Amino acid sequence: MTRFLITGMALAIPAVCLTAQTAIRDSVALEPVVVTASHSPKALKDAPVVTRLITLHDIKITDATNIQDLLTQEIPGLEFGFAMSQETSLNMSGFGGNAVLFLVDGERMAGETMDNVDYNRMALDNVGRIEIVKGASSALYGSNAVGGVVNIISRENLEPWTANINTRYNTFGHEWRHGAGFSFNTTKWNSQTSFQHTTLDPVDLPKAHSSEEVALELMKKAQGLPYDESVLNDDSNLSRLYGQKTYNVKERLTWRATDQLTLIGRGSYFFRTSERDTHDYHFNAYSAGLKSRYAWNADRHLELSYAYDQYDKASFMPDGTRTHDHDYTNRQHVVHALYSHSLGEISLLLGADYLHDHLATYQFLAGTIHSQHNIDGYAQFDWNITERLNVVGSVRYDYFSASSQKAFTGRLAVVYKLPLFTLRANYANGFRAPTLKEMYMHYDMGNMGYMLIGNPDLEPEKSNNFNIAVERQNRIRNSGIIDGRYSFTLMGYCNIFDKRITTIDGGMYDGMESAIYSNEDGVNVWGVDLSMAHYFDWGLTLKLNYSWMHQTGNVWFSQFNQPRTHSMTWRIGYDHRFSRHYALDAALSGRSQGKPQSGRTDVDQGYTIWKLMLQHHLWRSIHLNTAVDNIFNYKPKAYYYCSPLTTGTSFSVGVTVEIKN
Amino acid sequence: MRFKNFMTMALAVMAFVFGVSACGSDDNDEPEVAVAAQVAGSYTGNEIFVVDNEESSNETKTYVFAKATDTAVDLTIPEVGMGMMTIPSFAVKGIALTKEGSIIKGKLASYEGTAKGADGTDKAYTVTDLTALFSGNTVVVTFTMKYGRMPFPFVESFTGTRK
Repeated sequence: MTRFLITGMALAIPAVCLTAQTAIRDSVALEPVVVTASHSPKALKDAPVVTRLITLHDIKITDATNIQDLLTQEIPGLEFGFAMSQETSLNMSGFGGNAVLFLVDGERMAGETMDNVDYNRMALDNVGRIEIVKGASSALYGSNAVGGVVNIISRENLEPWTANINTRYNTFGHEWRHGAGFSFNTTKWNSQTSFQHTTLDPVDLPKAHSSEEVALELMKKAQGLPYDESVLNDDSNLSRLYGQKTYNVKERLTWRATDQLTLIGRGSYFFRTSERDTHDYHFNAYSAGLKSRYAWNADRHLELSYAYDQYDKASFMPDGTRTHDHDYTNRQHVVHALYSHSLGEISLLLGADYLHDHLATYQFLAGTIHSQHNIDGYAQFDWNITERLNVVGSVRYDYFSASSQKAFTGRLAVVYKLPLFTLRANYANGFRAPTLKEMYMHYDMGNMGYMLIGNPDLEPEKSNNFNIAVERQNRIRNSGIIDGRYSFTLMGYCNIFDKRITTIDGGMYDGMESAIYSNEDGVNVWGVDLSMAHYFDWGLTLKLNYSWMHQTGNVWFSQFNQPRTHSMTWRIGYDHRFSRHYALDAALSGRSQGKPQSGRTDVDQGYTIWKLMLQHHLWRSIHLNTAVDNIFNYKPKAYYYCSPLTTGTSFSVGVTVEIKN
Repeated sequence: MRFKNFMTMALAVMAFVFGVSACGSDDNDEPEVAVAAQVAGSYTGNEIFVVDNEESSNETKTYVFAKATDTAVDLTIPEVGMGMMTIPSFAVKGIALTKEGSIIKGKLASYEGTAKGADGTDKAYTVTDLTALFSGNTVVVTFTMKYGRMPFPFVESFTGTRK
C-alpha cells in the first residue's frame, strides 16, 4: 500500500509540474481590498478587524442564487431556518437576523419579516464580493451592527461592454433561475444592468411517519394492544415548503464627470410572491440612490449621497383580490456625508447620516402610522504609528426621535505586524435601537385572541465586543508542488450582549392574553473562529473554516434556531485550463453542523452535507454548470424550523453565455 | 400423449388463473362494499391537537360521520377553544372508504372549505392528509389543518367510540 502511494505521488508530481501556473482562478492573484472594517479601502491584510472575504470566484463556484444559499455554504456558525409564517430566519453565532446588519454597497435595506430582512432581495447576479465582519461595528454603522456586518458589494465590469444570459434548473422544488445582464464602460460612463427571475414549486416535506401509520398505532392503543409510542411523537413544524416566484432588476450608472467628480445613480425593483394554502403574499421593494464623490487628490475626498428604500407586503386571494388585512409599507430616506483626509501616517474620517423611517403595518392599531428620525455623527482616526503598528479608533453618536434614545459607541482596533504573524486586537460597542414595530405593535396574532403589544419605553440593546486574532498570509515559491498562497487566521472573541429586546407575558389585555416587548438581561457569546486556505499555483484549492461558540448568561433558545457549538465548512477545489477552448472548475465542498447547544434532542443532532460542483468553460464564453447537492442523501427525520432545508440529494444544471468585448 | 399434454396445459392454465387471483387478493383492498352506513354515527372521545409543538387535549369531543355515498362519508368536527380563540365547527366532505380485513379505512388527501370565525367573518381552512380507521365501534382520525391566517398548522388526532 505504501509503495502504491509513493508511486502514485511520484507519478503525480511531474504531471503537476507540467500544469503549474495554468490555474484559471484569478480572484487570489491580486491583493484583495476590503472596505467594511474601516469604511474606507484597505488591503485585506491591513484591515483593522478580521474580515471574511467571499470573492467573485467563491460566488461563482457555489452557484448560489441568493445570499442565503451562499452564506450557508461559506460561513461556519451561520444557519438559516424558518420563522413563523415560513419566513427566513438567520442565526449567526448566537445572534438573530435583527442583530446582524446587512448592507448592499454600504446601504441598509428597509422592511423586515419576522425580524429578518428579505434575503431574497439580495440576488447574487451582479455581486462582485461580500465582506463579513463578525462582532460589533456600531461605531461605524450604527444600529443593528451587534453580532456582525455583511456588506454585499456590486461588481463593476471594466470591459468596453459585456452581455450575458443564464439559466439554471434545480431538482429541489423544480427551481428555475433565469438571468441576464449587460454592462458598458467608456472613459466617462459605466453602466451595469441585471435581471433575475426565479420560480420554486411547493415542496412537500416528508414526515417521519404517515398519518395512516400514526392512526394505526392509535387504533392499537385504543384496543389495548401493544403499540409503538415513538410513532406517535412526531412533532415536525413544517409539512410543506411554500412555492415562490421572484423578479429582481437593477441598474447602476456611473458618470465620471471630471477627474475629481464622480456621480453614481442606481435603482432597483424586486418582486416576490409566496404561494400559501389559502392566499398569496406579495412583496415589493423599490430602491434608488444618488451618490457624488469629489476627490481633491488621492488623500482627500468627500462623499454625499441620498438613498431611498421601500419594502411593501400585501395579501391576495387566489382570485387576485387584495385583502388589505396584511398591508405593510416601510420607507426609508437616508442622507450620508463622509469626508476623509489622509495626513501622512494619519487618516481621518468624519461622517454624518440622517435617516427617516416610516412604517405603516397591519400590526399597528388600525389607522395609525409611525415614523422617526435618526441622526448620527461619527469620526475615525487611523494612525500608522510605526511600519508595524496601526491603531484605528472610532466614536459615534446616534439619536432616535421616537424613543428619544441616544447611543454613544466606540471602537479601538490595534494591528501589530510581527515577522511571521499579524496580531489584531479589537474592542467595539454595538447597539440596536428599538424598531417602530417593537415600540408600537398592537396586533391580535392571527386573529386568535392573543395580543402582541409594543413598548415605547424600550431601551436600545447594547453589546461590548472583544476579539483578538493571529493571522498569517504568505506565498510559497520555488518549492514545487506546494507553491502558492496560503492564509491562516485564528480569532477568539467575546460579545457581552445586554438589554435584549424580547416579549414577556403582558397579562390580560382587553379580555385577551397578551405579550409585551421588554428589555431583558442579555447573554454572553464566546467563540473561536479558525480559517485556513491554500491556493496552489497548479489549480488546487484547500479551504477550511471552523467555528466554536458558547453562550452564557441569560441564555434562551428559540424554536426557530438552535445555535450549535461546533460547525465547519470546507472546500477542495481544482481549476485548470486544458486548452484555449476548454477549462474546468471543480469543487467538492461541505458543511457540518454539530449538536444544538440547547441540548434539545428531538431536532437534528448535527449533520453533514456535501456538494459537488463542476463548471465547464467552453470557448471562454459558454459556462456549463452542474452540481450534485447533498451527495450522501442526508434527510432530517422530521422538519423543524431549524432543520436543514433538504429532502435528500438534488441535482442542478445551468448554462451561462457571456460575451465580452 | 395428447391427453397428457392437454392435462398439463389445463393445470398450467388453472395455476395461472389461481395464481393471478391469489396475487390480486393479497395486494389489493377488498372489493368496495356499502361501508358508509356501517361507520356513520357520532363518536365521542379524546381529541389531541399539536400547534407549534404545543399539545392540547380535549376529552369529550364528538366527531360526526354522515353517509355521503355508499363508499364515502362526510365528517363534522366540533369547535375547539374559547372566546376569540375559538376555531369553529367545520366539515370535511367526501372521505373515501375501503375495507381491509376488520378495519374500514377512510382517506382524503386534501379538502378546502370556509367556516364562520369567532369574529363573524368567514375563515378559510384546509384539511390535508386525513386518515380515519374504524374497527368495531372505535374510530381513530388523524389529519393536518390550516386555519385562516394562523401561521402554524394544527396536527390533530381523535380517538372515539360510537354509542
